Amino acid sequence: MTVSVQAEPIEVGGEYAALVGDTPGAAVATFTGYVRDHTGDNRVSVLQLEHYPEMALKVLQALGQEAGARFGLLEWRIVHRFGSLSVGETIVWVGAVADHRGEAISACEFMMDTLKTDAPFWKREQGPEGTHWVARREQDEQRRVRWEQSEGG
Amino acid sequence: MSITIKLFASLREALGEAEFPLALETLPAADIVDGAVSVAAIKSALCTRGAQWQEALNQPNLVHALNHKVVYVDAMVADGDELALFPPMTGG
Repeated sequence: MTVSVQAEPIEVGGEYAALVGDTPGAAVATFTGYVRDHTGDNRVSVLQLEHYPEMALKVLQALGQEAGARFGLLEWRIVHRFGSLSVGETIVWVGAVADHRGEAISACEFMMDTLKTDAPFWKREQGPEGTHWVARREQDEQRRVRWEQSEGG
Repeated sequence: MSITIKLFASLREALGEAEFPLALETLPAADIVDGAVSVAAIKSALCTRGAQWQEALNQPNLVHALNHKVVYVDAMVADGDELALFPPMTGG
């Protein structure tokens, strides 16, 4: 039930092993996000992720705890990177262990939808056409609001 | 009495500052209530620094975080607090 905000690449295999290691849950779900080589028509070669360190830790910790309580998780983990990332590198990894698949999968979706709008990270894309800050997508907002409207996930 | 202002992402870039102290005594006396000042009053005070500040701080969807928690502009900021201003978050 921990959070890591780190510059280093995410060791997905190691994270998975650590997540399930001591927790004999029946259902394990994880999500891994990678740097895309494009956004719409813009080609992307490098993604710079700025963050607010103290707040990022607090927000992600609270988010994991909320997911744990809401979905009855046996274990959870959130890893988010910052700094300069190349195409194909990992950006984010979340994992959830529960008694049943529904809770584990929903918890991962909830953690991802919420961290995208609530955790203080900002993406700046760099490509052949130049550099620009990524704008919040309406779609992300809608996915976030969904969880406020649904009862108990 | 002083607070810390932090700016992030496009806001930090536009204003060329990442972090600076702000003495509450420099704000209009009428804005100080029991030693605290609203986020809105702090923004107004910062807007007097020039057109660039005005434009950057009046953008819609600007987020305010007081001691690492997102707040509305009516939140009260007191001595020692940290107020961060930034555009909507785009992590994940």
